[in-house]
Amino acid sequence: MKRLTILLGLLTASLGISAQELYVATEPASNMPKNGLALRISQEGGFQNGYQSRTIPEMMYGLDKNLMVHASAYLSNFFQNNYKMEGWSTYAKYRFLSIDSTNRHFRGAVYAKYSSSNNPIDFQEINLEGNNSGWQTGVVFTQLLHKLALSASVNYNKALDNRDAQLFPTNFADESLGYTFSAGLLTYPKVYRDYKQTNINVYLEFLGKSNLGRNENLMDVAPAVQFIINSKLRIDVSQRFQLWGNMTRNGKNMYLIRLEYNLYNVF
Amino acid sequence: MMLLGITAKAQFVKAEIQVSGLTCSMCQLATEKAIKTLNFVSDIKPDLNKNIFIITFKKDKAVQLDLIKKKVKDSGFSVSKLVAIFNFDQLKVKDDFHFDYAGSKYHFMDVPEKTLDGPVRLTVLDKDFIPGGEFKKRAASTTFECYRSGMMGKTRTYHVTL
Repeated sequence: MKRLTILLGLLTASLGISAQELYVATEPASNMPKNGLALRISQEGGFQNGYQSRTIPEMMYGLDKNLMVHASAYLSNFFQNNYKMEGWSTYAKYRFLSIDSTNRHFRGAVYAKYSSSNNPIDFQEINLEGNNSGWQTGVVFTQLLHKLALSASVNYNKALDNRDAQLFPTNFADESLGYTFSAGLLTYPKVYRDYKQTNINVYLEFLGKSNLGRNENLMDVAPAVQFIINSKLRIDVSQRFQLWGNMTRNGKNMYLIRLEYNLYNVF
Repeated sequence: MMLLGITAKAQFVKAEIQVSGLTCSMCQLATEKAIKTLNFVSDIKPDLNKNIFIITFKKDKAVQLDLIKKKVKDSGFSVSKLVAIFNFDQLKVKDDFHFDYAGSKYHFMDVPEKTLDGPVRLTVLDKDFIPGGEFKKRAASTTFECYRSGMMGKTRTYHVTL
């Protein structure tokens, strides 16, 4: 894994091209601008138990140059035949480190998330994106090298009882460690001239989880492509693949399609 | 070290700022829009490839460089270079000379004796207008206390060079 990340870094750096840090499956250590508002809608799904999908409307806001917040809602048919409202989450990220120079920067941030779900708890994977109620806290560092961006994060997850008397099973681990590594590369345009030029970024993200005190692990890889149109509309398309894993889950090998619209200086 | 400041016939016409840490057109657009909200800015043009913004100021409004810096910081980035373009009318300058503009002082550092006339590019050397490492180096080597604090008494003092 480590060797792979170094190799990937060297490979992308040696190409001398540009990259991005608007990761699809994770958040970078950088924040949104103060008073920036983004509206997102994400659709993810897969064919693990017949076709199932989840819709996630999300709002993101930059309260301050160092502090941003998200609010999300989760709707899916993962646990029943019909689509239903499953829950919501809030997330906050505080940037505590910022070392900038032209075309490169190094940033660090801490983040925390609280998630609420009314689904039954059927799987060993703690998933705070709709499946489980619980909280998460973590740290992330992002390095931008010209237009290649590398990011690594570690987080701690604690699952709680779900709403509607869905108690957390005593035979499941209620704590997990998450670890991610993400690389992003700006492939187009080669030279910026105009805000209207569409940006095309490609990403490769590794997303791992381990349940604490158990030998239950998983690792996904998520390649993605991203289009940024008019410097305002962002479109992400991604497909996750499980590289290895021995914990039960219902979100294996899912696709993700996301639209995000950015507004500036809203208040 | 303190010389008498003069209120020069100086018009602050433009500024060129280079912003570091920018990575994407979204970040640049956010920064540009934030700067545009300042009441003394009449126009802003980006050079996206070099991460430079060229800001034109309104003739009848007082320009405050600290507010530009704040907008860049609030957008999540830093100013790595700021060139102020003033229109002067036969202004004699030398090291340690300063003039008053809009309630602030502009203090010359490392300049030869010279008469400035017409549009002149002055590079701002203060904290948060140059990379942090460069500021520390300059602050350690200068005898000007006002450079380290950015203040002369209670007056905001910017340090500039040709």
